[in-house]
Amino acid sequence: MNDLSVQFEGVSKKYAHFSLENIHLELPTGSIMGFIGANGAGKSTTIRILMGLVHQDAGSVRVLGHSMPADQAAAKLDIGFVSEDMRLYGAATLAWHMDFLRPIYPRWDQTYAMELARRFDLKPQQKIKGLSHGQRVKAALLLALARRPRLLVLDEPTTGLDPVARMEVLGELMAVLADEDRTILFSSHNTLDVEQISDQITFIDRGRIIDSDDKEAFLDRWRRLRLVLPPDGVVPRLPGVVEVGGSGRLPVLTTNRFEPAMVSACNDLGATVQAVDTMTLEEIFVANVHSRRERLTA
Amino acid sequence: MNWSMVKGLIFKDWYFQRTAILLAFAGGAVSLGIVCIGGQASFTIGLILLVTVMVMISAMTVMGNVLGERENQTLPFVMSLPISYLEYTTSKILGNLLIFVPFWLTIVAGSLAVIVASPVIHGFFAFAVIMGVEILVNTCLMIAVALVTESKGWAISAMVAGNLAINVVGYIVAHIPGISNGMWGTTIQWRPAATISLVTEIALIALLLVGAFFIQSRSVSEIDSHSG
Repeated sequence: MNDLSVQFEGVSKKYAHFSLENIHLELPTGSIMGFIGANGAGKSTTIRILMGLVHQDAGSVRVLGHSMPADQAAAKLDIGFVSEDMRLYGAATLAWHMDFLRPIYPRWDQTYAMELARRFDLKPQQKIKGLSHGQRVKAALLLALARRPRLLVLDEPTTGLDPVARMEVLGELMAVLADEDRTILFSSHNTLDVEQISDQITFIDRGRIIDSDDKEAFLDRWRRLRLVLPPDGVVPRLPGVVEVGGSGRLPVLTTNRFEPAMVSACNDLGATVQAVDTMTLEEIFVANVHSRRERLTA
Repeated sequence: MNWSMVKGLIFKDWYFQRTAILLAFAGGAVSLGIVCIGGQASFTIGLILLVTVMVMISAMTVMGNVLGERENQTLPFVMSLPISYLEYTTSKILGNLLIFVPFWLTIVAGSLAVIVASPVIHGFFAFAVIMGVEILVNTCLMIAVALVTESKGWAISAMVAGNLAINVVGYIVAHIPGISNGMWGTTIQWRPAATISLVTEIALIALLLVGAFFIQSRSVSEIDSHSG
């Protein structure tokens, strides 16, 4: 039995000024993956390939056991999709959208839809054009969730929301996800959003996947070591150092392969470890991107 | 082909175009009424109004149903549904035709009925049929261009080209000997030249629609180019 909901193997797509290259991505069933990248990194292109909306030039994509884009219609029957650039029909009500989708999805759950409407504070009889941006995002989420999809794909759903609306949407989403068991791919350039709901993290930059791991593993293995070197001392060579900051005798090392033994190794090499700082996902992402770009330009 | 999805999408387009459809039928009825008043002036004005209403409804439905999906960013919502792009294309072509053709058929049939009921303009029958079908050719041209290019600019260009073509085709048809000979007569005549003109138009309609299907079936991007 295939326990992967999404599997990309060597996927490439070329545009005039951008290319997605050799993407390998695996999303185990039941996991929540945060897909992080700067604007223009290739998140939306990757997701559009996943949805069968853009055809890859090379490589294979399987979603819920279906080959994409050939079997996209069958695959999309089990996918709930919300993207930042997706709009509902402004002239129609939320109830109209529910009625439109109900006969399409065999697992459509009207009771759940109405419960979500209440939880999201949405009025089904209100026209979409009368809703705020935050309410529209919630309406789109409702329509995706009430399909009871096996895979939920959220492409920057919180982009463009003001901080209050963003927290509301995330809060509601987390509350909904807490009582659900489904596979989710959540893309964003906002690491805080992703960190809150994901258990797996994948970084993408300039069309390439640069790192992918469990969220906890990321947070465990990335550290900043603040050292004090003796006069004429040199920065110790440690495994996984991606960035050396600080100055002179007070270097700051960023490593992606931290182990407690590193502290004693530094001491053995004559350096004093003043502090070992944990890093936020945002700091990890930025350090990851910088180190990769520096390697490429070196 | 998932026909139940195609049907659902067509009903959706009808729903959003319902006001335009009703207004078009009302405009068509008024125009036909003017034609029926009698006299050369009202006949001419009514005919111009009829053509205008038909061109308007064809432009409105194509702009709303095809280009509107992209412009209003509802295309990602539609394409997230369990459909292929070919099914989407099918729904758009059939949907637009099913909105336009009943209206067009009513207007053309009404116009022909007026001609049949007025012996003094019987000679116009063949010309009216050919020009009526020419308007359908225009609509199919707009649908095909809008679907393939997904560009408002190109769709408007196709509309302008189509409207110019009406005048050009009208001029040419009115000067084909097999048609022009009896045009001002008081008997309905249908000669081989009229059949050839009609078959040419029908072939053009088929070519435009099949061409749009063919190009769309080879499309590798259903939303748009790289944006993030």
